[in-house]
Amino acid sequence: MTTSTTPRQGTGSVPDSAGPPPPVRRRRSWGDRLIALWGVLVLLFLFAPILVIIVYSFNDGRLLIAWNEFGFEPYRALLERPAIRSAVTVSLQVAVLSGLLATFLGTMAGVAMARRPGRWTWWFMGLLLLVSVTPEIVDAVSLLPWMVFLGQDAGLAVFDNGIVRLVVGHSLFSTAVVSYIVRARLIGIDESLEEASADLYAPPVRTFRKVTVPLAMPAVLAGFLLSFTLSLDNTIVSAFVQVSGSTPWPVYVLSALRSGLRPEIAAMSTVMLVLTLLALALVGVVLKRSGDSATDIARTMGGG
Amino acid sequence: MPDTATLAAPETRSPAPPPAAGGNQRLRMPRFALALPAWGWLLVFFVVPIGTIVWFSFGYKPGLFGTHANDVLSFDRYREAFSPTFFTTFTNTLWVGVAGTAICLLIGMPAAYWMAVKAPPRLRGLLIALVMVPYWTNFLVRTIGWQVILAPEGWLSNLLQSLHLTGGPLDLLYTRTAVLIGVVYNYLPLMVLPLFVAFDRVGEPLREASKDLGAGRLRTFTRVTLPLARPGIIAGTVLVFIPLMGDYVTATVLGGARGNMVGQLVASQFQTAQNWALGSAMAVVLILVIAATVGVMALVAWLVSLPIRARHRLVIEEAS
Amino acid sequence: MTRPERPLSILAHSSAVPRIRAEVTRRNLLALAAAAGGTGLLAACGDGSSGGASSNPSAVPSETPSQIATGGPLESELSMYSWGDYDAPEVLEAFQKDNDIKMTIDSFGSNEEMISKLVAAKGTSGYDIVVPTGPFIPQMVQNELLAPINHDLIPNLEYMDPQFLGQTWDPDNNYSICKAWGTTGFVYDTTKIDRELTTWSDFLDAAMNEASGKTSLLDDPHEVTGAYFWANGIDWNTTEQADLDAAEEFIVGQLAPHISAFDSYPGGQAIPQSTQVLMQAWNGDARIGIMESDDPDKWKWVLGAPTTELWMDNWAIAAGAPHPEAAHAFINFVLTPENQLLNVDYIGYHTGAKDIEQQATDEGFEMLDLVFFTPEQLATMEAGELNDNQQRTVDIWNKAKAAAGA
Repeated sequence: MTTSTTPRQGTGSVPDSAGPPPPVRRRRSWGDRLIALWGVLVLLFLFAPILVIIVYSFNDGRLLIAWNEFGFEPYRALLERPAIRSAVTVSLQVAVLSGLLATFLGTMAGVAMARRPGRWTWWFMGLLLLVSVTPEIVDAVSLLPWMVFLGQDAGLAVFDNGIVRLVVGHSLFSTAVVSYIVRARLIGIDESLEEASADLYAPPVRTFRKVTVPLAMPAVLAGFLLSFTLSLDNTIVSAFVQVSGSTPWPVYVLSALRSGLRPEIAAMSTVMLVLTLLALALVGVVLKRSGDSATDIARTMGGG
Repeated sequence: MPDTATLAAPETRSPAPPPAAGGNQRLRMPRFALALPAWGWLLVFFVVPIGTIVWFSFGYKPGLFGTHANDVLSFDRYREAFSPTFFTTFTNTLWVGVAGTAICLLIGMPAAYWMAVKAPPRLRGLLIALVMVPYWTNFLVRTIGWQVILAPEGWLSNLLQSLHLTGGPLDLLYTRTAVLIGVVYNYLPLMVLPLFVAFDRVGEPLREASKDLGAGRLRTFTRVTLPLARPGIIAGTVLVFIPLMGDYVTATVLGGARGNMVGQLVASQFQTAQNWALGSAMAVVLILVIAATVGVMALVAWLVSLPIRARHRLVIEEAS
Repeated sequence: MTRPERPLSILAHSSAVPRIRAEVTRRNLLALAAAAGGTGLLAACGDGSSGGASSNPSAVPSETPSQIATGGPLESELSMYSWGDYDAPEVLEAFQKDNDIKMTIDSFGSNEEMISKLVAAKGTSGYDIVVPTGPFIPQMVQNELLAPINHDLIPNLEYMDPQFLGQTWDPDNNYSICKAWGTTGFVYDTTKIDRELTTWSDFLDAAMNEASGKTSLLDDPHEVTGAYFWANGIDWNTTEQADLDAAEEFIVGQLAPHISAFDSYPGGQAIPQSTQVLMQAWNGDARIGIMESDDPDKWKWVLGAPTTELWMDNWAIAAGAPHPEAAHAFINFVLTPENQLLNVDYIGYHTGAKDIEQQATDEGFEMLDLVFFTPEQLATMEAGELNDNQQRTVDIWNKAKAAAGA
């Protein structure tokens, strides 16, 4: 807060917040209150369907959308029906694998772009731009024939595996995202630490491992988190390339949409939500302990 | 390996080659070596498949169960994609895309400003998390939540009717409005987060300095905060617009036939009509439309900023 | 690939030739080229046609095919690609528990969608059992999308009513066994539409007037054009250009703007939620929806008149099925009288079993007038054909969807 004791003087213009303090305070709190109200309304808007799903997860009936009566039947059904659980397991597996892959590829690319820029950077950024501008449906329709070709006609049987197809499909956009985030973070940090490391005779690999990567770590973590989230929610590419038997969760829901959604879907969503909240709480506690604020993570995720 | 002790005696250090600007000269790998794996990966699994799609778009559908053939090349599929019936879908998609992004911006900006500037600092982490949490529920399940809310015989409809805010049952499902609600809802966090980061980056000191120099709150916002937050606004707009143009699932679930977007056209050419040539042509047109729109928006933003920048240009004269 | 292999030319040192000849086959080279992202592959994958344009067979080939399942041990998984909500959960659970098999079920909304998926996947889809409608089966066999069914492993065929076996598309049931047959009609909300609707003409008329903006059509190309042809007394399998032009002009030009949804399963959402007022529907799905609705009495089901469809869905096994033994075991399991009865109650369609109508009536199942039909009603139903109008029909359907979204 400013502590100046001299009266506010503009560069010759009349200060337009002149006047007795009390009216200024009242006006400020009015606008502030409105904005705060807006913010709260937006949060309510964001949570409305979630609350509805949680409520309907206790719907003891045949269809999710037709409320029958209160009951725990959907949760019991979760235990009995393996199809939903296996869909979620597949999704989690694929999310971790594609997240790791995208983070690995993207971090290296981001470091290269930030630390070794050159004419090649324009080409690579053009490629990343192309990846970003392409809508998911185009990606999906092009990937399926290509994977079938690789798996069948080219004889690379690994591409017939459902998990492999999903990991490849999910990792594309995520790699671009992680590259961008890591690059943005490293560009903001100058090279003096790495130069010092080189001056101290550290080989380049060691510099990379012990200096560059830790510097970029918030961006790397944020990138992994983002890749994980994007993969978990990826619907369209998954719907096209998936092989029956390794059906991910969003595709399961999409398919169930046709036959009339059952309340178990809401039950599973509620369970996943609770687990997410627990994980978030854990992360929050760890972050507070280590001193980094959540704002920093968000800042990094937003691009430095 | 030298340890920290030798740092105290720099004169005993044997001369090391001075590090070149931007790189370590002892590295013999080319500059882009680290990026090579990512490059290769994207090339094989992104560029090549898209290339085959572009190739298919010049072909035709050879028969009932045939998907594509390229022995005769032509632009016919593009002509089909631009036929009046399909063209209206393109314009509708563009309309939904632009309107949805604009609404996201209008709703998201005050909310992000509140979170970044006005809310108590200790709550900020919590607020960011609260914005992201809905994003962690499956996208389809969230949309279905809206389907339940907007149902004509649902509780919201009954509530509005009992409050006499609507004449009959809520008639929003399967209309363009429902599509807008759905897409705005699904992409709002993607707008709020970059805006939050942008407003946060402006920083309290700059705002206070502006107020100290006599600007009111509104003027501070328009002259200081907003221009500095511009990169974030641009990032948020682009982050919302592009996926929105390609997303057709939300539109189909909430809008039924009215939610027919180009994504649905492309999907059905591949999934039902087995006409890969036509589907590819539509896909290529979609990419071009998105790129063109982003380009036009950038151009308009730049053109609009020209007179503003000219007016506010500071002329700094050389001190004589 | 249906094109003959072209000779591959490689430029190399003469001493390397024997080694190259030994190690490099065309497939390997393509794999290497694929890894490097070469564009020469574009030519290789340029032609995806499967020669289906030459003829439209109306029956599967007559020679007995070689079987893929021989009665060996059952696998531990099974994957089915079927219409939505088309099996009683008790039946599925009992099968999975008795045989320790985990089942995955995916659904589609039209035969075209199912065929597209199988064609695109070229055997890698992972599906074992698929459920196509009769007329599509001959061409599916011709395009190598279906595998034969081994009757030795399906002794429960004896419980099927013979008049539902041996259909025109598969006289010996080499590739398909009747799963369920049904018809098409429509459902409307009597509180919103005052007059009585009895024919397809009434349906189309109400769709453009009282129910405008609250009407849904089935998400299936032939059902969309069918509504027009049945209303106007035209054979719905017509290949006449003039008829198809008239259908396109009406459906895309006049009807589509009034349609608010293309929904193959209104019974799942639209009827219980009352989101539409007039819906084209299949009889069993309509029955499910009305029974689940809060106010069943306000809904009225109308069998399409003066003519409508008679369709029959069949059990079939996909080519490249990873679990053929389990697939046969499942089909055999489903055909027992108890399971057929459970299925009839759940899905609301006649499954082709012997005396099923009598059993269902004895059990007191609800709304059986939507499940079993009188001979007079049966006489008004016509089976579909897969012929030269297919392309045009799918075109009209796509254009109708685009026009409805405008």
